[in-house]
Amino acid sequence: MSVNILGFEIEIYYLVVLLPLIGGLFGYLVNRLRTEFNFLGFVLTLFFAIKLFVISRGEVISQITATIFGFESKIYIDSLAGFILLFNAIFAFLVWVYSLKAMSKKPRERAYYLYVALTLAAANGVVLSGNLIFLLIFWNVLVFSLYGILLVGKKDSSFAARKAVTIIGVSDFAMMLGIVILFVKTGTASFPFDPKILPNNPWLMFSYILIFIGAIAKAGAMPLHTWIPESAKVVPASTMAFIPASLDKLLGIYLLVRVSYFIFDISGSMPLRIILMTIGAITIIAAVMMAMVQKEAMRLLSFHAVSQVGYMVLGIGTGIPIAIAGGLFHMINHAIYKSCLFLSAGSVEHRTKTTQLDNLGGLGTKMPVTMFTFIVAAFAISGVPPFNGFYSKWMVYQGVVELSRETNLWPIFLIAAMFGSVLTLASFLKMIHSLFLGQRPKALNKVGEARFEMVVPSLILALACIVFGVFAKAIPLKHFIIPALPFKIGEIGFWTPGLATVLIIVGVIIGLIIFLLGTATKPRRSKIFVGGELLEEESARMTGPNFYSSVNTLGMLKKTYDFGEGGAFDFYNYLLGITRGLAVLFRDVINSLIVAAYKYIGKLTTGLSRLTSALHTGELYNYVGWIFLGGIIILILLVL
Amino acid sequence: MIGLDFFLDRFGVLLSVLFVFIGLMSFIYSLVTIKQKGHRLEYYLMLLLIVGSGVGVALSYNLLLIFIFWEISTFAIWRTVGFYRKEKDIYAANITFFINFAAAAVMLIGLVILYLDNGTFNFFEIKIYNDLASVLILIGILAKSVTIPLHIWLVPAYKSVPSAIGGCLAGIAENIGVILFFRLFTMGNYFAPEFFNVIAWLAIATSIIAGGAALLSNDLRELLAFSTISQVGFILLGFAVGGTYGMMGGVLYILAHALAKSGLFYGVGLIEDVTGKSDLNAIHGMLKISPVLGVSMALLAGSLVGFFPMIGFFAKLGVIIGAVESAGYFGIGAIIAAVFTIVYVVRFYNKLFFGEKTGKIKGISYTGLTVVFVFALVSLLLGIFIYFPVNYLTGNGGF
Repeated sequence: MSVNILGFEIEIYYLVVLLPLIGGLFGYLVNRLRTEFNFLGFVLTLFFAIKLFVISRGEVISQITATIFGFESKIYIDSLAGFILLFNAIFAFLVWVYSLKAMSKKPRERAYYLYVALTLAAANGVVLSGNLIFLLIFWNVLVFSLYGILLVGKKDSSFAARKAVTIIGVSDFAMMLGIVILFVKTGTASFPFDPKILPNNPWLMFSYILIFIGAIAKAGAMPLHTWIPESAKVVPASTMAFIPASLDKLLGIYLLVRVSYFIFDISGSMPLRIILMTIGAITIIAAVMMAMVQKEAMRLLSFHAVSQVGYMVLGIGTGIPIAIAGGLFHMINHAIYKSCLFLSAGSVEHRTKTTQLDNLGGLGTKMPVTMFTFIVAAFAISGVPPFNGFYSKWMVYQGVVELSRETNLWPIFLIAAMFGSVLTLASFLKMIHSLFLGQRPKALNKVGEARFEMVVPSLILALACIVFGVFAKAIPLKHFIIPALPFKIGEIGFWTPGLATVLIIVGVIIGLIIFLLGTATKPRRSKIFVGGELLEEESARMTGPNFYSSVNTLGMLKKTYDFGEGGAFDFYNYLLGITRGLAVLFRDVINSLIVAAYKYIGKLTTGLSRLTSALHTGELYNYVGWIFLGGIIILILLVL
Repeated sequence: MIGLDFFLDRFGVLLSVLFVFIGLMSFIYSLVTIKQKGHRLEYYLMLLLIVGSGVGVALSYNLLLIFIFWEISTFAIWRTVGFYRKEKDIYAANITFFINFAAAAVMLIGLVILYLDNGTFNFFEIKIYNDLASVLILIGILAKSVTIPLHIWLVPAYKSVPSAIGGCLAGIAENIGVILFFRLFTMGNYFAPEFFNVIAWLAIATSIIAGGAALLSNDLRELLAFSTISQVGFILLGFAVGGTYGMMGGVLYILAHALAKSGLFYGVGLIEDVTGKSDLNAIHGMLKISPVLGVSMALLAGSLVGFFPMIGFFAKLGVIIGAVESAGYFGIGAIIAAVFTIVYVVRFYNKLFFGEKTGKIKGISYTGLTVVFVFALVSLLLGIFIYFPVNYLTGNGGF
């Protein structure tokens, strides 16, 4: 499928990589026309991505364009790739629209747009590739663009960028080794593999695990997640919404699904599935526990961005078709509600200039639309029916229950998943309270609703949360998820949200009627007083951050939290510690051995020189003695 | 026995072009940075000798001729390392000379044994490899290509050498060792696999140990020196494991490392010139002073680590494929070395370029900046148009 541009026949799949690149580059170079160029780049990419998605539903595009260095640069677009491409373009466009106001007049604004465009181009390239080595190339470009975009910070973000690029770079190398082992052992790196590889040979299993590390590092699962909370504090909300919340999830989970079910087939290998599910379950619980006690909006959200990856990895790891579909569905849902949350919180930050939950509150009447989008997305992430998060989590639960036929460990995973969901709801109740309810600090009395450009993307995403939840089976599952997977997925196990939705709507309407009929519209207002003494409102303000402060004072948990905040679970610290430790060992042991050897050689040579120089004293008697000695030796030799 | 025994093959021509390119860049950079009046003539002579000896080793098929170029190179390095004539410079120059010269003398014995066995110095006709001769020659090669335990001359040499010629040292002089290894040991199947396995382990150990040392060093030059030791280990690994990918990876690695390290050396030279310091912990915020330098060095650092748009990616990929083909454990070792690389390179770059600006700053030289930028650009273009060098080397595509 190709289009004609200025007389050149050019394939569409090149365009989705080239267009954002060209738009971004020209926008960067010609600053005056930046918005126009970027607009063209993003909109045309979106257009062609939709086109590719439509094509990919009917037929699989599979073409080998060139062979470089012994590898095919293969293009492979099936319905999985098609739908990821579509969502890449949608999220990039929404974030771009949001950034128009949010990033305007911020330092290094120009570079920011360039990196957004570069990220989109590389992400599309990853999804297009039909060869793992070719995929790795684009994967590497993402390291550069990640480094660049994280450096565009609210404050000095160089440490966060360093951490991110180190973790992602190291996992990229792990992935490179995995791909190389796969290539060497099987002779090809082009997928889809037919037949799929069963990871029963130790080297192939090792290869799978290495590629898996690359995928979950991108998606941000534990223990490779620590750069996400680190950067949440220092980079703009739109960056968080774009990279860790949406695009990285799409790419990481895309690769995970590709590797697990298109290249390898892990459903036959119980140990691997247990590993995946364990990582998923630990990620869910540990990250949400960290999120509970955060006092800063972005950091809190970023821990949830980690926690939710757990559901995807858990679902994909079960090896049960419905849960794999659930994991994939959760990925797309997560990208929607989490970017909505980041963007809404970003709007609040844009207006109030703070993200400390202690200094916020009571913004509901001032920013009603933002409150609406935030609450919808918060309910979706917490798994409240009928929003989309509930639907995908339900599918994951179904899969875990079905697992009971194969392993006895399933209750652990089920409890972890459900308990994680409860804690998510708890921490979002705290956040909703801290941002929008409660008393408003005096400083925020003049705050107004966010700008149009910033509200619209959040609103679209919030509506998508509702649509994807209520009409899950008719729209997202039917068009995106089910065609993308190589399984037959049965009819049972799906949740039907129709009746529940109607009941919920009815309930809300009844509640509203009671609210309006009752005295709630005219509450009695009085000053706050304690023991008859009036308090100043500011000091009596009830803020949200301490809702669960009892959690981190409980005996065992307190220690764990202290460890966590001190960086004890930070892969980066361990990486640095291990490398430095090894380095010190090398320097002290090996280097000192070598230096000692050289010194010894030096001493030996000087010793020898002393000896020989001692023979040459310049005194005649010595030389005569030597001649005499030599004469005797010659004489003896002659006689013998 | 000896004449003007030169020949052209694709490997030799590619490296000659590389060496002359680096020499030219070094010359341009020297014009603005070598301000010292005394023995300036000698400096340019030595620069030309280093370039010439590199080209000579790359294009000659006579082992004796190679040895002569080898010694010219040693001599020229000796003079340039001691260029500033301070006490520590002379000490560094002497260490450099002693180790290289002693190892070359050992190598000469090996070459003579080869000659006696085969009756010729032409390495195309050498068929009988005496074990002793191979080990002796290998010692010379390891000293020149700074492999542990014969690496200790490089750190003092890097600390003393004028930054204008440091790029030549990194890009040319250290590569002639691996060129000889490529010429002598990898053409034909005269060696047991154990021989290459030992060299591969040695290369991996060198790479990891030097990577660790680079992570600990706080001096810019020292860091670059250890980084060079570590990277040359990768080249040697590529040649030692062999196979199409290993060989190709090794050759590309020479290209990638020479470009990246020369560029970084000149960049570091500029930073030292404008700040007057060489302590990694004392220099910050260079990005605000020169964004062009920041971007160029980011690209060069990326090439050193092996990230895609740069040629370093394909070099590392080739070496690692070759290593895994030979034995999976080599691949793991190489990846550990690569992990060290990324950790120290990111640390190096971040410390230099971010944070508060360092106090007094002199104006940055635009000529020097251009040189660094050209190195980055060439690395980038070769990475994007990788089929250019690859097709050239394999003889495809109309060359």
